[in-house]
Amino acid sequence: MLSALILIPLVAALVLILWPGKLEAQTAKVVSGIGLALTLVLLGFLATQFELTTPGFQFEELLPWVEPLGLSYRLGLDGLSLPLLVVNSLLGLVAIYISEPTLHRTRLYYVLLLVINSAVAGAFLAANLLLFFIFYELELIPLYLLIAIWGGSRRGYAATKFLIYTALSGVLILGAFLGLVWLSGNTSFDYDSGLAAALPLAQQVSLLVALLIGFGIKVPLFPFHTWLPDAHVEASTPVSVLLAGVLLKLGTYGVVRFGLGLLPDAWMALAPWMATWAVISVLYGSLAAIAQTDMKKMVAYSSIGHMGYVLLAAAASTPVSIVATVFQMISHGLISALLFLLVGVVYKATGTRDMTVLRGLLNPERGLPFVGSMMILGVMASAGIPGMVGFISEFLVFRGSFLIFPVQTLLCMVGSGLTAVYFLLLVNRVFFGRLAIAPPTVAPQLDIDLPPVTWRDRVPAFGLAMLIIAFGLQPNWLARWSENITLALHQPYQGFVQARTQFAPTAVPAVADTLFVDPALTLPTPVSPVFADPSAEISLP
Amino acid sequence: MTKTLSLAKSNLHPLEPFIQKLLGAEALLPDSESNVIEVVGILKSYGVVLDAYSKNLIYIADHQFLVLFPFFKYFNGKVTLPQLLRHWWHDRINFEYAEYCMKTMLWHGGGKMDEYLDSDDFLQHCQAAVAAKIKTNLPIRALNGLFPDFLPEQVRQLAYYSALGQFWRVMSDLFIDLSDAYDAGKVQTIPQVVAFIKAGLVAAAAIPISYAVGINGTSYELLPKSAGLTFLMDVAVPYVEAVFFRGTPFLGTVSYNAQADQISADQGRFEYGALYADPLPIGGAGIPPTLLMQDMRHYLPDYLTAFYQSNGRGLDDVRVKICQSFQKSMFCVTSASLQGLLPHPADTQDPREQATNHAFLAGWMDRLATSRLDVVQL
Repeated sequence: MLSALILIPLVAALVLILWPGKLEAQTAKVVSGIGLALTLVLLGFLATQFELTTPGFQFEELLPWVEPLGLSYRLGLDGLSLPLLVVNSLLGLVAIYISEPTLHRTRLYYVLLLVINSAVAGAFLAANLLLFFIFYELELIPLYLLIAIWGGSRRGYAATKFLIYTALSGVLILGAFLGLVWLSGNTSFDYDSGLAAALPLAQQVSLLVALLIGFGIKVPLFPFHTWLPDAHVEASTPVSVLLAGVLLKLGTYGVVRFGLGLLPDAWMALAPWMATWAVISVLYGSLAAIAQTDMKKMVAYSSIGHMGYVLLAAAASTPVSIVATVFQMISHGLISALLFLLVGVVYKATGTRDMTVLRGLLNPERGLPFVGSMMILGVMASAGIPGMVGFISEFLVFRGSFLIFPVQTLLCMVGSGLTAVYFLLLVNRVFFGRLAIAPPTVAPQLDIDLPPVTWRDRVPAFGLAMLIIAFGLQPNWLARWSENITLALHQPYQGFVQARTQFAPTAVPAVADTLFVDPALTLPTPVSPVFADPSAEISLP
Repeated sequence: MTKTLSLAKSNLHPLEPFIQKLLGAEALLPDSESNVIEVVGILKSYGVVLDAYSKNLIYIADHQFLVLFPFFKYFNGKVTLPQLLRHWWHDRINFEYAEYCMKTMLWHGGGKMDEYLDSDDFLQHCQAAVAAKIKTNLPIRALNGLFPDFLPEQVRQLAYYSALGQFWRVMSDLFIDLSDAYDAGKVQTIPQVVAFIKAGLVAAAAIPISYAVGINGTSYELLPKSAGLTFLMDVAVPYVEAVFFRGTPFLGTVSYNAQADQISADQGRFEYGALYADPLPIGGAGIPPTLLMQDMRHYLPDYLTAFYQSNGRGLDDVRVKICQSFQKSMFCVTSASLQGLLPHPADTQDPREQATNHAFLAGWMDRLATSRLDVVQL
């Protein structure tokens, strides 16, 4: 069943490759769309069968592959991967839907999109470290080609930079995975085997540092972020939507799944450093966003800031903060996809993303009022305005992290305030005032006649906006899927959380104290006896 | 060697070509087939809307005299449930725009009517009418005793309701006649449009403007014929000054900061009128020009609708297009007005009369320098 999530996009890609004669863009779009829609239906079915109280992998599939190397084809679905898989299929559909009908090399374009979707699904489903790595690497080349062929004027530079950075990321991750298995004396790369590994702290720390840098490049976190603005600026809108909405999540997913999940001792040792790193990323991303005049770069830098929240929440490793990591990933996926989509529409209509020349696009008659109103909604969601999913995710991040890392959390909250600053700058400059594509003092536009926004642009934006509001008003619709894995991931950290709790040791919020959890949920016993003593302190050797 | 302009050339007005156009019986708007379609078509719909506006203004002046809470003033005395429902559903003419123009005229003043409304003669007429109206209304009498200037000011406003209604009555008929002449093939160019409007204005120039209100079976004159107020000089010219040139700052999508001196303290330097307005902010709810554009779009002739449909965003931005066409048409009306107001015949051969005409038009061109005159040439 889970294999179908990987295979259906590949089959659709195969259909496109084998399609006789000239492949019309509309046909390619329909075939690709059907493929991804089927995966979405399948995910819906799996969700109905999903056992909420089971913390481990479900619907597992295991096929022996290269057993001497420890590589098996093992897939599993849990509360961490299920929401991300849905976002992958959803944003894949959005990317296909908004793709230009006049693209050249149509067949290759849609095949690459489908291969990316398949590879990302495989990475989220992989329950074997090597299998994850294979899928993780598999999406690089299609994405490289999508930027290099259909990108902007500096697409070659941006694509190459992306490839170099992400390939380095892959090398570090592979090294960490190999080290984890070899040092632990295991012969299998299966996720559960790695979980049981009991390595000395120094070795764990080395492995975690490699993993953090590897996934940190993908997230991206400061100072490994420099590929991202270039890639976004040069990528076409559908690729930007996928990149921000889904592909960056491979990094945060990797941090949570493999760092938090497999290396608890090292994680606890490095947690304060990670929280500090998160603060630097958040503040750097926000301040850099404020300095931008290109709308797309601003949204790209905002992603760096928002992904930092995931690291802070993961570092705190409280039940609420681990829920927050899932929320923040989904929330950022939806919101950034909406923002990049809208920036793309503005660029298509006006020919520029330069905030120093765009004015008054909210004009109800000749401007882009729908885009403007959706953009305002998007930036409000990103800035954490209540009623939208961004608020829930940021609230959970801060609520879950504050008692563990109060200073870092407060500094990250400053970053959240800065989000409002740069997005207000964007909305104020681009959408309010007199309609123009140049400052009135430079070249007043006497008769601006922007093309109307088509339904192709409106429908996905509206759909994403509805999801952003729906999950903002009913967070339980999202959180319920991740309760079990959240609690399971938190188990090894109970003692750590108790030991680090500031101000009031008993005040650590449990998930059960929040909005979401089923009180009947039973938890597995702690994995490591080290944490039986709540007062145990962890320090670097 | 430095080349300099000759003295004669350097003295030319920067908008000299437009002065020559007006002296040559042409218009400030270039003559083109599309401009004719836009101008005549929009004046047709404007004529229909003005007809409704004028009837309502005159109804308010005559029948809502000193009604301090005129809840049904837009119903012209026909208040029925279906009409109320249509009103609440906003399936109606936006009479608010007519009041906006009236209040703009009242605020800017100008002309003999403004002078008369400040005269003792008017005050006597006014007090007689007020006394008759509030004779049996104790609260209003008390109000009048406390604030003796309040009701006369209301009456002045009602006089403007009436005067603008009478002005628009004439203009509505004129614009509908113009449309009929276009449909009949008698008007085919912009200069012909201007000539038609000028002829209409000249014909109506001396029509007296008067206003009397009936209270308990007695008629009370407020603008008596003896005041000598006439259509062109006492209503049309102040209207053009107030609505075409000055206007009032635009409330709504464009914000002006009075504290930052974005609004001139000198009324004479106001430049918010129809000839200066930026059509692009059109579309905000409740903004006066938008209300007029909304009203006009119900009555666009088919050929104008088809013209809009075939350009740019089609009918998606029809209100902006209507506003742009309206602005073009107002430059034609301005052309006709200026030609009608020339101190001497445009074709005079007397150099002194020619100089006077030139100076007259140069003064107006100074004011039009910052208008949308350059934009409508595109």
